Amino acid sequence: MADEARPRLRLRVEFLKRISAIVAFVGFALLAAQAQVLPSASENRSIIKTDAVQYLFPEQVSVPAGKASSVTLHFRVAQGLHINSHTPSDEFLIPTTFSIPDGMGVRLGTATYPPGAIISLAFDPKTKLSVYTGEFIIQARIVATLGNHLMQGKLRYQACDQNQCLPPKTIDVPIDVIGK
Amino acid sequence: MKAFPMRRNTVVLIAVLFILAIFAWAGWANWEYRRQAAEKLLAGAAQGELVPAPGGDALEYVSPLNGKPAPSFALDDLSGKKVSLASYKGKAVLINFWATWCGPCKVETPWLVELRQKYAAQGFEVLGVDTEGDDLEASDKAGWAKEEAAVGKFVTEMKVPYPVLLDGDSISRDYGGLDDLPMSFFVDRSGKVIAAQVGLTSESDIEANIEKALGE
Repeated sequence: MADEARPRLRLRVEFLKRISAIVAFVGFALLAAQAQVLPSASENRSIIKTDAVQYLFPEQVSVPAGKASSVTLHFRVAQGLHINSHTPSDEFLIPTTFSIPDGMGVRLGTATYPPGAIISLAFDPKTKLSVYTGEFIIQARIVATLGNHLMQGKLRYQACDQNQCLPPKTIDVPIDVIGK
Repeated sequence: MKAFPMRRNTVVLIAVLFILAIFAWAGWANWEYRRQAAEKLLAGAAQGELVPAPGGDALEYVSPLNGKPAPSFALDDLSGKKVSLASYKGKAVLINFWATWCGPCKVETPWLVELRQKYAAQGFEVLGVDTEGDDLEASDKAGWAKEEAAVGKFVTEMKVPYPVLLDGDSISRDYGGLDDLPMSFFVDRSGKVIAAQVGLTSESDIEANIEKALGE
């Protein structure tokens, strides 16, 4: 009887252990999810105020090592904002530029920018601005050395809405470049 | 005898699933509550800064500095002369933070020139504070020289008659971060901030705040 009960008891203990582990895992997961929901006020501010442009994709590209290859980079400008194109209409305005810092194993040959949309704003209808809004792309010709490179490209821009402007900003453009 | 453990396991399993369901529900309810709280916080932050200006149709920026002494500063002007806010005590001052790359700043600059001309005799002055917001290193002399040249060119082109001070970024924290330009603070004769504006409003709104700062 005792010999019969022991395996059953062991099974029950195993069963309870597994269930406890599941409960603990789900509990931790819920706690972690809750902790990420409510950002601080300063984080809220930075999301609203400074993330005017978001890099969309690609996250990873494979290119032949040592050869110039074309990569299409996709970006999105937040709704209600515009950024200067690469060729703004006024010398004081900051152009949108893409660059790759040295030492990344990837070199930027050329970057081809789209033409800006010509707009004028309500407060100054006479002045024409060359801007990007919504989604836009930059064609980058890159040369990668052999191997895997976690490249951090840089996009510099300056954004405004109808009445005010945000300071110039440089964001990271992270791409996993595989040179084969 | 053999069916009993199966029944017991089933009961335990149901109990555990029930507990998991309660966990999930509690987690979801908590998440939803926090999400709504975050949304309220966002909405509150946006509404808390901009309110309708009295007598105007524009929005007025409500700065935490309102009613407090304007933070002191001493910055170089374009000729390299140190200019301090304290030296304007007894005058009404409009501190206008701007940048060469800021289109709306360019639009309002002629208004400031005109209003300064109109109210100067009553003890009013404008201090233009260039705030490029650039991440230039202190050692980047070429970068700073280029920036200064751009400011000089802008000031010449716009025929700005009032003092224009450089390196507003060094005092931006004192004035609330200056995330958006243009941004103006109206300081009364006692050195207290009586109003603030962010973004392009209108010449009449600026004038109303100048008159308030002058005590009229």
